[in-house]
Amino acid sequence: MKITVLGDRCTGHGRCYSIAPDFLDYDDEGYVTIRDQIVDVPADQVAASRDAAKTCPEQAIGLLED
Amino acid sequence: MANKADDPVAGVEKPPRVQSGCPVVHLDVSPALEAGSYWRKADELREAGQAFFNTMAQGYWMFTRYDEVREIYQHPEIFSSESITPWEPEPVYRFVPTQIDPPEHSKYRQLLSRWFAPAAVSEAGPAAEAICRRLIAQIVPSGGCDFVAEFAMRYPTEVFLTVIGLPASDADLFVPWVEDFFRGFGGDLAQQEAMAQALGGMRQYWVDALDERRDEPVPREGDLASHLLHATLDGESLGDTLILDILTVLVLAGLDTTRAELGYLFRHLATNPDDRRRLITEPELISSAVEETLRFYTIIFGDGRKVARDIEFHGCPLRKGDMVYGLVSGANRDPRVYDRADEFVLGRTANNHLGFAAGPHRCLGAHLARRVMKIAVEEWLKVIPDFRVATDAPLLERGGGSMMTLLTLPLAWEVTS
Repeated sequence: MKITVLGDRCTGHGRCYSIAPDFLDYDDEGYVTIRDQIVDVPADQVAASRDAAKTCPEQAIGLLED
Repeated sequence: MANKADDPVAGVEKPPRVQSGCPVVHLDVSPALEAGSYWRKADELREAGQAFFNTMAQGYWMFTRYDEVREIYQHPEIFSSESITPWEPEPVYRFVPTQIDPPEHSKYRQLLSRWFAPAAVSEAGPAAEAICRRLIAQIVPSGGCDFVAEFAMRYPTEVFLTVIGLPASDADLFVPWVEDFFRGFGGDLAQQEAMAQALGGMRQYWVDALDERRDEPVPREGDLASHLLHATLDGESLGDTLILDILTVLVLAGLDTTRAELGYLFRHLATNPDDRRRLITEPELISSAVEETLRFYTIIFGDGRKVARDIEFHGCPLRKGDMVYGLVSGANRDPRVYDRADEFVLGRTANNHLGFAAGPHRCLGAHLARRVMKIAVEEWLKVIPDFRVATDAPLLERGGGSMMTLLTLPLAWEVTS
């Protein structure tokens, strides 16, 4: 699975990196660091990534199933 | 001679225009009511329809469900923040960056975002814990307190002042100003004088703070007012007026809100011993309790925006200059989005609540508010694991026109020696 965050939608709620703290990180302003990147999801982070995507109030997180 | 319908009649205001096809209500959101009344009203409205025209004030549109409320938040090019109170399309105050629209908005936001970002909040954590412990230690021997006055108003205020580099003891000044401001903000015209005086008091405090810092060659470490004096926007200094508009809204948005959420959270813990005990044995659920509080006990009845251009929106013919009200309380309890929407669920997943809004004006202080709430639960339960509401009388909440907040919350607990 791959994950991406739409940079023009993300407003820095921080829900994703709170739910998946061992996978997603934040920058100085509180945005997740993977905005506008496509990143492989480690096997043990698939469930957390799915929850993060559903929790994002902006619907900014996209998951690409393998 | 019969009057034509449009002729003004002395002493009688012209009735507001009734919008085609949209149900009309006349709902005053300003009065204080029994706690929970505004959420019940939001539930009723949401299930009766997705849109209403409210004939209060000059009249405004209300949208009641999650999808529409989020859509309003995410489209500032249609729904401007020039006014955020639907009964007051031309507000007397100016909040920056709250009332600035994109693309200008992001420049202002960048001046502030680092101060309230997760890294800054983590740095403030130990100070917040110390403040929290001190306040709890002061009240625990008495076996009871008014949680609102003795804890919820003081604690977030002292933390906030510490984060922006001011003496925590100035909470003595800020607490009454913020109270008086919100008495008037929710649309109660009798309270406008108190609101204006509170704004004046706060403004003078900031004027004095700026004067004290003005001639310093470098910004004071960890001091937001000093930082703003040295900051630039498009290569220019901000100027006092703009700095005052920023500092004023930070105080108003930062202090009253966290206090309000703390009240509902602790009322829940006092009246739901199973949830309380679970948080003691499974403290990793405290963050989830905080998020669920922000969803289920959202203090935002609705959020206003001003229509920037004529548009048909979910069947409503909006015209430029109209006001809309996104019913956040309706959205956060919308069964179209949430399983068991009408229950407080510890450990809820996919909790995409709009308690901190959405879109570019997402609450700047969200990270701080969450941390302050989490620390409060952690520290309180360590010292006072069992407590109850100490009255059978109904608890009252301030009207939804500002933000709902419990006016008092008497709590009681056994004191062990």
